[in-house]
Amino acid sequence: MGTKNEKTMNHTLKDYRTWCLLLALIAMLVLFMHPSKQQKTPTYNYTFIIDITRSMNATDYQQDNQSVSRLHFVKQTLRELLRDLPCQSKVGLGLFTERRSTLLFEPLEVCSAYTEIDTAISKIDWRMAWAADSNIAKGLLSTLEMLQKSDSSVIFITDGQEAPPVNPNYQADFSTIKGQAKGMIIGVGGLQAVPIPKFDSQGRQTGFYTQDDVPHRSSFGQSNLDPSQIKGYNARNAPFGSEAATGNEHLTALHETYLEKLSAESGLAYARLTDLQNLGLALKNPKLATEKVVQTDIRRQPALLALLMLSLIYLPKVYKFRRFFARECSLIPKL
Amino acid sequence: MNLAIDTPWALTGLLLALLPLFNNGMRASLAPWLTLIPADTLSVFIVCCLRLCAMAAIAGLVLGMAGLHRTEQRRERIGHGAHIVLLLDRSSSMDNSFAGRAPNGLDESKATAARRLLTDFVKQRQTDLIGVAEYSTSPLFVMPLTENKNAVQAAIAATATPALGFTHVSKGLGMAISFFEQQPVTGSRIVLLVSDGAAAIDHDSEQKLREWFKQQQVRLYWIFLRTANSPGIFDTPEDSRDDNAGAMPELYLHKFFLGLGSPYQAYEAESPDALKQAIADINRLENLPMHYFERIPKQDLSAACYSIATLLLLALLGVKFCEVKR
Repeated sequence: MGTKNEKTMNHTLKDYRTWCLLLALIAMLVLFMHPSKQQKTPTYNYTFIIDITRSMNATDYQQDNQSVSRLHFVKQTLRELLRDLPCQSKVGLGLFTERRSTLLFEPLEVCSAYTEIDTAISKIDWRMAWAADSNIAKGLLSTLEMLQKSDSSVIFITDGQEAPPVNPNYQADFSTIKGQAKGMIIGVGGLQAVPIPKFDSQGRQTGFYTQDDVPHRSSFGQSNLDPSQIKGYNARNAPFGSEAATGNEHLTALHETYLEKLSAESGLAYARLTDLQNLGLALKNPKLATEKVVQTDIRRQPALLALLMLSLIYLPKVYKFRRFFARECSLIPKL
Repeated sequence: MNLAIDTPWALTGLLLALLPLFNNGMRASLAPWLTLIPADTLSVFIVCCLRLCAMAAIAGLVLGMAGLHRTEQRRERIGHGAHIVLLLDRSSSMDNSFAGRAPNGLDESKATAARRLLTDFVKQRQTDLIGVAEYSTSPLFVMPLTENKNAVQAAIAATATPALGFTHVSKGLGMAISFFEQQPVTGSRIVLLVSDGAAAIDHDSEQKLREWFKQQQVRLYWIFLRTANSPGIFDTPEDSRDDNAGAMPELYLHKFFLGLGSPYQAYEAESPDALKQAIADINRLENLPMHYFERIPKQDLSAACYSIATLLLLALLGVKFCEVKR
């Protein structure tokens, strides 16, 4: 008996199938013991501050062969971007108008709160603006100060159209926050000046802003020009002279050089919004990313090995096929 | 069941499961003439079983690698709760204390008190759907009705940023009611207005709000954070000349709410404690039976696939050692 058993054992061990099965089982053992690996992946924490001033209603983006407003395009692009962000990334949302911004909600994890963030972005409307000015430099400064303590990167999305234009004497001073703030300015709009749509109180478009509708210079404080150069200058009654200012402030285009200047002053990066891909690339700036340790599933590798081993056992035997074909051939009567 | 796969292309591996049909995976024993061996039903049955085992093991491995999972499920349940829209006043005066001063170290601002108590309130209302809207000069849509309490907390926490402009309550109410459109009518529907002031509502808006409140069957709770020495909701004017919406907007807003025809409750909170009381009342009262959906998160089934495959592999190996060589 003993010898017979040994003989059987020997034969079993000589069979390559046994070894394949054993290897497969060992692979499965490894799979259950080390199902995941710690891996560092970049995650992001953004607070999007979206400019909702009137100039964002200008329609100079194309989508599906239709011209859409800057604000609509921004919303659409952000919603698409939301889908691409890795889990554990966070997104907060705020609005800018007048000379400061408000935060709608603090950064939320994108995978668990996708619907909420997506709905909130889709509901952004220019009519949410609580005041009508558009003082971007001051808005940026106050936003950066407001969010200084948060570890979220500020993504300030604007077209750079200051309304009224800034007086060079009264510029925002970014020196206090330079180097501390983390984030980016995203320029929106085309480089060609386009008119700004005008709406009535019911939200219907009633045409465009004309030259007479908008201020073409700031009349706050003192003029930056030499008083002797200003026509009709009077220090108390007419510090900006007697002539009405004219200009093209009723038209709007992306003020790229201005935004680049602001980004340099505030220590933020700058990028222009053209499409989703470019925005995605710009935002995946390694400076804005934080490495987070995430458990990644590595069960596939041992499972693949087990699968290969198992397939090897059941691979069709080639000689059987050969014999089969040989018989088929022999059945054909030879002439 | 709603099964789904992470990497669909990996399913092509299922073709491998057909392999055992062409090969029984056993060593061939030599026999002089096959016809000599009598037909044995049991053997045929066992071979079939072994082939099935092998096929199932391969399929299990492939399905595990493809990432088989059950998608997120929603189970309908009946519980107690409400759909609540928090309508928060973001006017600048909310940043003052109840005494009407800029807050110093001792007393907190009205906004801070409201934020603290609302945070607790949201924590207690586990089965509710809660949405957040804000208003100052214009209404702000903040957070849709959601069961995600973290999202609601993030929206409440964001009110810590400085407040904005003026009080335009009618637009805010309009936005709050719009949250209930396209929502099933179940449980109670509540707008919880937290404000520290009021404004006159124009005639057109009054008309629309009346209609909307009736249409959407919304109950209104108004927590009025009263600043010391300012007119309250329940004050009666001492001078008849002051008896108008311009001079006493709070009183007139209260009167308008009373005339809405839908359930309405006002609370005048002059301190954080009174605010707490008002929130506790709502917490107690608003517990009507309600249908809601419980989320059952996505379940990973690949581990189960791998376990089954391993068991089958073990069986196959066991059988291997039973093979006899003559």
